[in-house]
Amino acid sequence: MAERKKKKTVKNWYALIAPKAFGKTKIAETPADSEDKVIGRTVEVSLQEFTGDFAKAHIKLIFKVVEVSGFEARTAFIGHTTTTDYVKRMARRYKSKIDGVFDVKTKDGVRIRVKPSAYTGKVIKTSQKRAIRAFMKEVIEKLASENTLDEFVKYMLDGEIGKQTYKLSKTIYPVKRVEVHKSELLESPKVEIKTEKEAEEIEKEEEETEKEMKEEVKDKVEEGIKETEETEEVEGMKEEEREGTEEKVNEETEEAKEEIKESE
Amino acid sequence: MEKWAIAHIFSSHNNTIITITDVTGAETLAKCSGGMVVKADKDEPSPYAAMIAAQRVAEEIKEKGIEGVHIRVRGIGRGRSKSPGPGAQAAIRTLARAGLKIGRIEDVTPLPHDGCREKGGKRGRRV
Repeated sequence: MAERKKKKTVKNWYALIAPKAFGKTKIAETPADSEDKVIGRTVEVSLQEFTGDFAKAHIKLIFKVVEVSGFEARTAFIGHTTTTDYVKRMARRYKSKIDGVFDVKTKDGVRIRVKPSAYTGKVIKTSQKRAIRAFMKEVIEKLASENTLDEFVKYMLDGEIGKQTYKLSKTIYPVKRVEVHKSELLESPKVEIKTEKEAEEIEKEEEETEKEMKEEVKDKVEEGIKETEETEEVEGMKEEEREGTEEKVNEETEEAKEEIKESE
Repeated sequence: MEKWAIAHIFSSHNNTIITITDVTGAETLAKCSGGMVVKADKDEPSPYAAMIAAQRVAEEIKEKGIEGVHIRVRGIGRGRSKSPGPGAQAAIRTLARAGLKIGRIEDVTPLPHDGCREKGGKRGRRV
């Protein structure tokens, strides 16, 4: 039952690097004993750290590690949330909060779930809420279909979606504030090869890597043969040495005998 | 670049548990609780126990080269008391006093969006 304690392995610190859309900066560091343990970890980072805008400290971006090379881990955007205390500050009694959940597809084929919410100064009718929700849907679907994921995320975090719905819903009821309080990445398409040239390049690379692999194998085999020869040589050397040592011992014993005789 | 960590502080009216992890939350760097520090069970939730637990944890992570922590405070939640217990404030203050930089402080008490019925029956817990 008693298991031996395993020796503690040395943990390296891997640097997490933001996606291209966020400037590829270093976000944080995480310790791990192997590379594959880093893949799949998620980090929450405040938007304030990228923009320096204090008003956006309540928005948290979520990044997931996708690829590790050396001690650098590349991350991808998988969604965002707002802090609970911010949402609680906005939602008040005798005031309305209008929520919506929309699944949309961006121009580059990424499915993303967007959860906007609007806040009013007073309690409004359900029919008015419905109308405002419809405006939200209209704006979000339009922006999603016209933009790629990166651009869409930028609009979402800038408050562009909020601004546009605010303008539209003004006619029905003056909304205090509209913003996307949550988003989740549902599905991103597999990377497809667009042009024939790129396809050719990738094939070439693969061939080269295969060749290299084969060469490496060859080298290894050759090295193995050399190594066996070397070991044989070493053994030969050892035998010679042994003989030498035996001779020395014999000499020493003879000398000792002579000394003993002399003393007598 | 400075190394940052996250201090998860779970504070109920029975104990205070401090766990410090890396930014992803995948690797634990140090942990301590009120019960590890005091002898009497009644002292486990006390601010004093939280203070000493926080001191221990702070020393341990400083050795590992961490300079600042983001804080996530949490009460019991799940239908029960939403507010963190008496040890939470003391723990945060001690971490700050220990020379660690304090980043974001966030309340992460789990709150149901209306889920299971709270235990105790229709008339509640009768003490």
